[in-house]
Amino acid sequence: MKYIFFCLLIALTITAKAQHADTLLTDTSKAKKLKEVVVTATRTNKTLMQVPMPVTTISNKEIKNRGLVRLNEILNEQTGLSVLPDAHGQGIQIQGFSPDYTMIMLDGLPLIGRTTGILDLSRITTNNIEKIEIVKGPVSSLYGSEAMAGVINIISATPPVGASGSVSARYGTNKNADISLNGAYATQRLSLSGFVNRYSSSGYTLVPESGSATVSPFYGYTLNGTLGYKFNNRTQIKLQVRDYTSTADNNFLVDNDRITGDGTEKTLNASAGLTHRFSDKFTGDVRLYHAGYSTKSLLINNTDNSVYDETFFDQNFNRAELQGDYKITNSLRFTGGVGGQDESVRATRYNDKKTFQSGYTYGQADWTPLKKLDIILGGRFDAHSVYRSQFSPKLAASYQFSDKFVLLASTGKGYKAPDFRQLYLNFTNAIVGYSVFGYEEAATELKKLQDQGQIQAVLIDPTTLQRLNAESSTAYNFGYRYKPFTGVMWTVNVFRNNIRDLIDSQPIAIKTNGQSVFSYFNIHDVYTQGVETDVTYNFLTRWTVAGGMQYLEAYDQSVLDQIKAGKVFGTDQATRETVRIKKSQYGGLLNRSKYMANARIAYQDDKTGIIASLRAIYRGRYGFSDVDGNGIVNRDDEYVKGYVLFNASVSKLFMNNQLRLQVTGDNIGNYKNPGAISNLAGRLIYAGVTYNFSKQQ
Amino acid sequence: MNKFKTLALVLFSSTALLVTSCSKDNETPEPQKPVILTVNTVSDLDGSAGAVYYSLSTNKQITGDDITAGKWDIKFSGTSIFVNGGTSGSGTTQAQTVDGKFEEVNQAPADGYKTDASGVNAIAKWYQYTGEDIKPNHTILPLPGKIIIIKTTAGKYAKMEIKSYYKGNPAITEAFDANTPSKFYTFRFAYQADGSTSLQ
Repeated sequence: MKYIFFCLLIALTITAKAQHADTLLTDTSKAKKLKEVVVTATRTNKTLMQVPMPVTTISNKEIKNRGLVRLNEILNEQTGLSVLPDAHGQGIQIQGFSPDYTMIMLDGLPLIGRTTGILDLSRITTNNIEKIEIVKGPVSSLYGSEAMAGVINIISATPPVGASGSVSARYGTNKNADISLNGAYATQRLSLSGFVNRYSSSGYTLVPESGSATVSPFYGYTLNGTLGYKFNNRTQIKLQVRDYTSTADNNFLVDNDRITGDGTEKTLNASAGLTHRFSDKFTGDVRLYHAGYSTKSLLINNTDNSVYDETFFDQNFNRAELQGDYKITNSLRFTGGVGGQDESVRATRYNDKKTFQSGYTYGQADWTPLKKLDIILGGRFDAHSVYRSQFSPKLAASYQFSDKFVLLASTGKGYKAPDFRQLYLNFTNAIVGYSVFGYEEAATELKKLQDQGQIQAVLIDPTTLQRLNAESSTAYNFGYRYKPFTGVMWTVNVFRNNIRDLIDSQPIAIKTNGQSVFSYFNIHDVYTQGVETDVTYNFLTRWTVAGGMQYLEAYDQSVLDQIKAGKVFGTDQATRETVRIKKSQYGGLLNRSKYMANARIAYQDDKTGIIASLRAIYRGRYGFSDVDGNGIVNRDDEYVKGYVLFNASVSKLFMNNQLRLQVTGDNIGNYKNPGAISNLAGRLIYAGVTYNFSKQQ
Repeated sequence: MNKFKTLALVLFSSTALLVTSCSKDNETPEPQKPVILTVNTVSDLDGSAGAVYYSLSTNKQITGDDITAGKWDIKFSGTSIFVNGGTSGSGTTQAQTVDGKFEEVNQAPADGYKTDASGVNAIAKWYQYTGEDIKPNHTILPLPGKIIIIKTTAGKYAKMEIKSYYKGNPAITEAFDANTPSKFYTFRFAYQADGSTSLQ
């Protein structure tokens, strides 16, 4: 594969005679930033200053300047976001929500492929991105299930007119290599672009004495092709296909037996969109989308060559959607849509192929009754073949006191549908002997066990259960964007999310072997609340300093009630006797840091072509385990200590900004916590090179 | 002399009687002040060499023929606790777990007791095993707030709290060494000998 890269590189270099500086330096200056248009919060173009929800954008330039190549790397440096380590991948936490509750989109279309709710962000390359938009707070009113904590939308770059291309490579510690090759050709009507990205690593081992790697060696390819064509000023189409395949070389020890084998993961996204402008006032869109996600693994026990574990997972998602955008008057705009979805899954732990059908309709009115006031009212109705229908309303408003100060407030409902696992899982642990059944399977599977005489006592009769409901939240966000003087942007957002019906497993029966049978229920009510603030200051033309922080509280309401009733206990560390837990001792939900902060200083000199930045990312202590067995975090040793990561990068541009050489240091302080943080491999040093060219027509 | 003595005694007694009858209003007659139960702490009951038996009524470890004679109430074997009843013994001992603080569990529940059945002990879920994910790893930690109520074969009630599974009842911190000698049980209990459900 490497050879193909180099051959293509040479070919592309030869064809590029009239070279031109690419977009490396062209950036959203401060003035531009204000007029920056965002799309994700409303499904329509809207200026960033006016949009009445908390929205953050990350430009391609910023990503490149920091030398970050995967989505998890760049998101971890954003205020209020934290990338969580997990055996099933690196997911994102927004406003204290687990990764399950954030929708990740590519050009407005949802990515699928979650394992225990986590969509592994390291799958996603930051190559060929124009920008990333992050909306915090529920956007289920537009996007439906999963958009409960927020939405992260990756917006692909549109190629400039002419031929253009780039090759970039980053290589460093742990043989981490990321190579991208981009090519594009565009005229006024046609635009054609594609890229190949290869990402690989030799993995790393945080606990060598365990004989198992923390991250196994892997390599993955992303192939992307996009075709756009404007038939005329009114009609255009866009087709996009992206394929990602990754293979991990597993090798670990279980009770002195060496287990080896490959695990592969594939995703495929294909979309086709047609946009037609019927009049100056009315535009229509039709979009077709297919997404596939599959994994496969075969693990062999090397001691006796037996199959240790063989699994597969195969998910398909199809959607057809129609959207219309009607500007009724200059101050009133209506956007609405209707769509249908078909989903299916086949997997080792499911009885047979499972399918979902759903239909939805959404509408949004964007009203500007006064020049300074913008009100958005919207809602979406989802009807589903398996779980209860959902209605997700949203109301948001922004008031522009001046060019410098905008107040924003929004409230809305978000929801997340029960996933396939919660509905259809049929799993019995072969070693320990417990069983877990999805809601839909519980009655039949329990009956089977009863008929086999394996059940000692039924605790909850599954036939009496209430239908599993979607998890939902009501959110309130309130804040402002403020530019007190030139070069300074200050945002504040206060949030509160009341989350109902969180799904968890609980025992429904006791087996004769003493183990339990579990199924899923709507159990917990939790809330998260906090405040987030960000300040950016540009000075002396070349310098930027920025900082942000988030304060977060995330509690389980039922635990608070139990504490109030005096029913939560802990162990006195000196006497090992039972003590009662007070509210002040309750650490809240696991993995939530009360305090998170980041600071950044950046320098960019266009004359010398030197770009540098140093970032510090602080994650305050967070609950991690339950040493005293009372189900909650309350002791100091149940927390992971807070830590700071320092990341830096220095670039130098050459040849009229076409060539960039870069050194990137990730976690320069070499912070590690092998027992608790699996995604911190220690200090990572990379060298990078990017070469851009474009040929004007 | 004798007469005088007797008179004195009578006088004294009647005075005493008078005094007591006079003060009757202030001093409520105390209907047998409940004896505060003695809390016994058993330290490092050594089960490392095999199952170990204990009698709550005598506050003694039971060994040898006394075991077969069924003179024990509870038996510790590894992480399992058995009662002398059901599938575990010849007696009719029963138990259940209630949530609370040891000092505050003053009354044994009237019902809800179970004896041991095959694979399902009356005293289950008294500890948590930390496994790989929680530090200290691979450690057995008694669950807080789980007070074990035992109804012995003789129909007497007792409450019990388990403090430690490790020798010396060591403090459990992240640095705890899971190789510390285990199956050394430290627990406290209070035994009500009068047959009532009061555990004060």
